[in-house]
Amino acid sequence: MIRIEGLRFRYGEGDFQLRIPELIVEPGTTTAFIGPSGSGKTTLLNLIAGIIRPETGRVETRNVEVSALSDPERRRFRVTTLGLVFQEFELLEYLSVLDNILLPYRIHAALDLDATVRERAGALAERVGISDKLDRPPRRLSQGERQRVAVCRAVLTDPPLLLTDEPTGNLDPLNRERVLDILFDYVRESGTTLVSVTHDHEILPRFGRVVDFRNFHSFGERAAS
Amino acid sequence: MRDTLYLAWRYLAFHRVKTAILVGAITLIVFLPVGLRVIVNQSSRQLTARAEATPLVIGAKGSPTELTLNTLYFSSDVPARTTYAAASEVADTDLAQAIPMYVRFRVRDQPIVGTTLEYFGFRGLKLAEGRQMAVLGEAVLGSRAAEQLGVGPGDHIVSSPESVFDIAGVYPLRMPVVGVLEFTDSADDDAVFVDVKTAWVIEGLGHGHQDLSQPEAAAGVLRREGNVVVGNASVMQFNEITPDNIDSFHFHGDLSDFPLTAVVVVPPDQRSSALLQGRYQTAELSQVVSPTEVMDELLGTILTVEKFVIAGAVTVGLATLATAFLVFALSLRLRRRERETLFKIGGSRAAVATVMTSEIVAVLAVGVLLALLLTFLTQRYGDVIIRSLIR
Amino acid sequence: MMAKTKTAAVALAFAAAACSGSAPDSEVDAGSDAQVAAEVDAVAEADALVVFTTNYPLAYFAERIGGERVRVEFPAPPGIDPAYWTPAADVISAYQGADLILLNGAGYEGWVSKTSLPESKLVNTSSGFEELYVVAEDAVVHTHGPEGEHEHENVAFTTWLDPQLAIEHARAIRDVLAERLPGSEAELQAGFEALEADLTELDGRLEAWAAGLSGQPLLASHPVYRYLARRYELNLKSVHFEPDEAPPAGAWRDLAALMQGHSADWMLWEGPPLDETSARLAGDFGVGSVVFAPTGNRPASGDYLDAMRVNVEALEALPAS
Repeated sequence: MIRIEGLRFRYGEGDFQLRIPELIVEPGTTTAFIGPSGSGKTTLLNLIAGIIRPETGRVETRNVEVSALSDPERRRFRVTTLGLVFQEFELLEYLSVLDNILLPYRIHAALDLDATVRERAGALAERVGISDKLDRPPRRLSQGERQRVAVCRAVLTDPPLLLTDEPTGNLDPLNRERVLDILFDYVRESGTTLVSVTHDHEILPRFGRVVDFRNFHSFGERAAS
Repeated sequence: MRDTLYLAWRYLAFHRVKTAILVGAITLIVFLPVGLRVIVNQSSRQLTARAEATPLVIGAKGSPTELTLNTLYFSSDVPARTTYAAASEVADTDLAQAIPMYVRFRVRDQPIVGTTLEYFGFRGLKLAEGRQMAVLGEAVLGSRAAEQLGVGPGDHIVSSPESVFDIAGVYPLRMPVVGVLEFTDSADDDAVFVDVKTAWVIEGLGHGHQDLSQPEAAAGVLRREGNVVVGNASVMQFNEITPDNIDSFHFHGDLSDFPLTAVVVVPPDQRSSALLQGRYQTAELSQVVSPTEVMDELLGTILTVEKFVIAGAVTVGLATLATAFLVFALSLRLRRRERETLFKIGGSRAAVATVMTSEIVAVLAVGVLLALLLTFLTQRYGDVIIRSLIR
Repeated sequence: MMAKTKTAAVALAFAAAACSGSAPDSEVDAGSDAQVAAEVDAVAEADALVVFTTNYPLAYFAERIGGERVRVEFPAPPGIDPAYWTPAADVISAYQGADLILLNGAGYEGWVSKTSLPESKLVNTSSGFEELYVVAEDAVVHTHGPEGEHEHENVAFTTWLDPQLAIEHARAIRDVLAERLPGSEAELQAGFEALEADLTELDGRLEAWAAGLSGQPLLASHPVYRYLARRYELNLKSVHFEPDEAPPAGAWRDLAALMQGHSADWMLWEGPPLDETSARLAGDFGVGSVVFAPTGNRPASGDYLDAMRVNVEALEALPAS
């Protein structure tokens, strides 16, 4: 699903540099990226998504060399192939729950919002237990509910790759488990590849593979297996 | 694109108050100078047209503006009175047609215009309903006056007292409405036209009562001195002229001394006009006024004031516009995270740009549209507004 | 006296000539001439000046002077006295539509001051001799309150009864018609002169009759003959008797008092008096009744001149005392 080769990325003039000689993520797997903050986990996620581009090296996601695409191509790639879940949920405050879920279909011509999509959105909402709150604005939801909405949004397009950045970072333990259950159930059913950045060692057992980023920052170059 | 616009719409709806205030500000910024210009333009055209249609006005010495506004627009500022003799004088010169005007009284908000039949021919007024006034006391209404008072031919109207404490002075006269004129889009629409003699009856210069020389009227007699019968205060003065009492209606004194507010003078050519004006140059008690000149002066003043007001409005407008753009800029800054999210989950440049900037576009567009709508309405109803301000 | 008779004779001759001259051309050759004449008539009708008057004498004068150039209307109902007429609103509207409105003046048409008529079309046909109006001294005047007196002068208004003044009325009519019908001066003048001759003839006859009275006292049932009285220096005093009502007792007493210093043999009436009244006048007072109709309105038959001639003949028929 993901292949990274000879990657080098530096944020501007700073000291920090991310170097990944090689990293492969097989389709259908669940992978956790852990490491201390500032070690480049989110950066890698962004590189995989094509949100940023490396100095050198190749990032190939689902056989597409994302690092070589133009900005419009990368946007299109993201909206059709990826699902993203963020630590701070990143819902639009002025949209209802339903409109938040449907958001990807309204921001790119490549996606067509039709009845099937709406049905799927309804089904997803039901599945995560928020179908009675479809008309509400995010501010009237609890933290857990908001993240569940974000998950629905992320998987609405049925993406082959789901990238989550500290998805449970802002949740209490109960909601954390709930959201993780939703994610892993979904992933298991649909065969979606899941890559999660996380701080939380307690959730690591759920993942099939753990990549420790201490190996990847400027001082280390050993590839994980 | 439709879907993206949906998002923009939801943003505006969520921030209703902010949107409304911004739209309002834009509307005002655009409308104030434009609307003002439209009104002034229209009013000057209209005022000029009416003034040009009225060649000369003769009245008592005083403010030419007051005389002109009262005669052409029936304003409630009543100039010093001249007399009916002034009209006869002009008629006798054979230099021009003289139309007496007595514009002093009102029926509620509508001015009562006491004049003669010649006025209708002069202004080209045509009847839409009913007939022309024939008998003392009858009134013919302009189309808007009829609407405002809610009357038509066959109904009655009553003149309004000039002041609350008028007991022995001007008393209300109940008048039958016999005709309503066609709409002319001029001050004539608001007028209640009566014969100038009827206006004198309202003033109290003419009245009807029992014939004091008859035996039945003995109760009203104060004393008799030879041929002279003096009535006492109990003689009831009619406040309505009906077929039954019209025979008793009469005027005391010489009609030449009776008051007018103006005489509209219509000379057939320039030469007659010049001759007439020459005669009144040295008149002590009268003045002859050219409404066109008065209006030009008035409009000159208005235009100067307008320039200042527009300058002020534009300055404030620019400041407000700058503030509005500041609000837009801040708004964009506030939505930075939203923009990033949209970018991250794969929104196209066009879609993201649309969502972010449609707030500005929509506010500007709606604001300008509303301003245009208001301008259109001003154009449509400007005349009425101006005339009601003059009255 | 001789001059006056000669004038009368000349007037008669003129009148005769005028009468024959003004015979209507109703005897028109048949065929195309009739057609042309009809067309001319139609055109004349269309261009005719529409003239309204406030009494019958003026209407008659206008017709005589204007002929085909005018269409004269006097819309008062028959039998009423136009001096006390209040036309209805629709009649007033008809007046408003006239090209010209001829007024008698001297306060005759009281209704005009209480109506709206187009100033430019009103012509006072006696404004040329205002100084000759007869002021009625015994009129009752009223004032209001202690402020003081305002009189209104009561002026007699049956001006046409003096044929000289009638001619002045006619002259004024001719002048205003000439103004309004440019190019017709000759026709108007011809009409005027014919009328003038007729009126002058009447004047002559009345003068002769008055001369024969030599100051003999006369009575009038109503003060409507002031102009007649002044013109012919008649010793005439008036009462207030109505022709169609029995005078009340007080009126008879006034008459008795009046006749103390004024022993008249004849009373002039506007119309035929009631038999009882004339009988009592003759029986109790020795006063005979003679009708002199002022003809303010259209007579039942004939025209103004016919009526006036009947009046004059009635006077001439009175036996000299």
